[in-house]
Amino acid sequence: MFLSRRLTGKYASLWVSLLAILMTLAAASILLLTMGKNPLVAFRSFLQGCGMIPKENYGGGSGMLTDLLDFLNYLAPLILASLAFITAFKAGLFNIGIAGQMLLAGFTATVLIGYNKGLSAVVAKPLVLLIGLAVGGMTGALIGWLKYRFNIHEVVSTIMLNYIISYLTGFFINNNYVDMMTRNSKVCSPDSRLTLTNVMIGDLKCKIPLGLIIAILIALLVSFLFRKTVLGFEIKAVGQNRKCSEYTGIRVNRTILLSMGFSGAIAGLAGVAYYLGYTNTIIPKTLPGMGYDSISVALLGSGAPIGSIFAAIVVSIFQQGANYMSSTVGVAKEIASLITGILLLFASCGNYMKYKAARKIQLAADLRGTEGKEAKAS
Amino acid sequence: MNKVFTDGLSFALPLLIIAVGALYSEKSGVTNLAAEGFQGVGAFFGALAATLLAPVMGNGNQAIIYIAILCAAIGGALFSLIHGLLCIRFRANQVISGVVINILAVALTAFFTSAANTAISGSASNKFVLDVSTRFTVPLLSSIPWIGGIFTDMYPFEIIIAVLVVFLWYLLNRTRFGMRLRACGENPQAVDAAGANVNRIRWIAVMISGALCGIGGICFAYSMIGNFSPSIYQGFGYLAIAAMIFGNWKIGPTTLACLIFGLAKSGGLQLCIAAKLPSNYMDLFLMLPYILTLLLLVFFSKKNHPPKAVGEPFDKSKR
Repeated sequence: MFLSRRLTGKYASLWVSLLAILMTLAAASILLLTMGKNPLVAFRSFLQGCGMIPKENYGGGSGMLTDLLDFLNYLAPLILASLAFITAFKAGLFNIGIAGQMLLAGFTATVLIGYNKGLSAVVAKPLVLLIGLAVGGMTGALIGWLKYRFNIHEVVSTIMLNYIISYLTGFFINNNYVDMMTRNSKVCSPDSRLTLTNVMIGDLKCKIPLGLIIAILIALLVSFLFRKTVLGFEIKAVGQNRKCSEYTGIRVNRTILLSMGFSGAIAGLAGVAYYLGYTNTIIPKTLPGMGYDSISVALLGSGAPIGSIFAAIVVSIFQQGANYMSSTVGVAKEIASLITGILLLFASCGNYMKYKAARKIQLAADLRGTEGKEAKAS
Repeated sequence: MNKVFTDGLSFALPLLIIAVGALYSEKSGVTNLAAEGFQGVGAFFGALAATLLAPVMGNGNQAIIYIAILCAAIGGALFSLIHGLLCIRFRANQVISGVVINILAVALTAFFTSAANTAISGSASNKFVLDVSTRFTVPLLSSIPWIGGIFTDMYPFEIIIAVLVVFLWYLLNRTRFGMRLRACGENPQAVDAAGANVNRIRWIAVMISGALCGIGGICFAYSMIGNFSPSIYQGFGYLAIAAMIFGNWKIGPTTLACLIFGLAKSGGLQLCIAAKLPSNYMDLFLMLPYILTLLLLVFFSKKNHPPKAVGEPFDKSKR
């Protein structure tokens, strides 16, 4: 009954997310127990790998702060990617192609700015962001255009574009920009990177993720868009009921184009934060797994821009802490994706949980009502 | 030229069975973006069975392939229960459920492949090596000029799939069960009023879908890739869904769409080899089926009729 109240109250979405996390932890514990591992030790290792709990020992020049900053470096593009999903999702559109948009934006920025050694940091960094916004935005707008002009479902067109982008960039990287040693693309210049590397804090060698500042700014901006602006309201209205919005005079086509364009632009930012921040190179013909993780984050944050920051932290702990966990506990690090998948599974049942809770409260109220009547009659 | 038809067909037919699987689910009113996950998990179960049976039945025993196909169908059907649970029982958003299934499938198979390999051989490899399937050439037919390639070097599973698809067409369009299944996707309330159980039909449809996708997956593992590894997730499922949409949710046109994709893919590759381009250029030709899909969708999507009730959980109280 306590839970039912919470699940129907003001903070229902928050409780659904918490419940999903708890259920996931329980499921993961069962999985780890069946493999003969201690789940508590495993969960502690996840946190240790992210620099939230100190490890037993550290190598020279690294410490808890380095791990934490590495974690934040991974967090920044994930927050942006989930914001990209949310922006389209509010208009009832599923941007499954975030991975492709990230790759295209990251590739373009790497080639145009990252390999241009002549630019100073002050010029290069804003240009990288601008290219990310423009390339991602145009890809997103193309998908929106295909949607309203030719009635091509955005899920299909984004997936087709994902493959096209993946092969196309892979071709150019293999042909022109490949590093013969690593088989990845050549690294981009430090001036163009959105992560400051080799910054000494005390005696620790740290990375400072500038992308995180952008991610939080965009989260606030998206939140503002949907709370306070007419456009945000129109996007939400189109998402709720396209026919109804059309009759009220909202230009549905323009709204679809804009929300998909925004979504792509934010995905482009995520792409540059990922490829010119977190990693420094591009693996040819590989879409970033983050594009799909962003969907779990958006779902877990129940579509709220600020909520997605916290959801991103939860998902990042599993993804980023997996390496350390794998080395200490000895479980394959693929378990991180498995846990994310289970999390997504429970989070997608959120509406059902709310529905069940509402039913339970209704039933209880009905029961009380009939008892009251019987008491009066006697 | 012969090679184009031979390879095209061995790509098109597994694609077709996945597309028909997706079609069954969508026709019953359950959106199926999960085809990609179904085929991967089905292939995983098939490959696992083949790996376990190989030492018992002797390496190179062709009977293993048929058992693997059967296991893939069962595995795919079992995995599709999750999709059914989310979409039918828990009324989750069906597109999201599909995405969930796909993410879960990649993670599950990667995790359990290395776990199974550790248990079997001691090394945590991420792939199951499969035997090579025998191929056969139909005499006489294969010597017909132009289309002889269709009957050259055929995989046995191509025959199985062709027969299955004809049967599935009959089941969907000529039987009482098929009519009810289609009605569930158009007007489930009417099916309910007629006394049939909508959710049960949808459960069956989703399981058929999982089984068919599983068959498609293991056929890809045997023909295209030669092993089971994460490279099974190359987007065959999504391509199949595109073929289904392009085929306007009908089995006949969907078959045509799959054949076009298959021929485009093998034709592109042969073109690349014939032009003696370096292997890097292969990537450009591998893009062809996807570009073709987008272009075809531009021309054909306007007058598509998806099932009317697709994507909506059945609510008895709505009439």
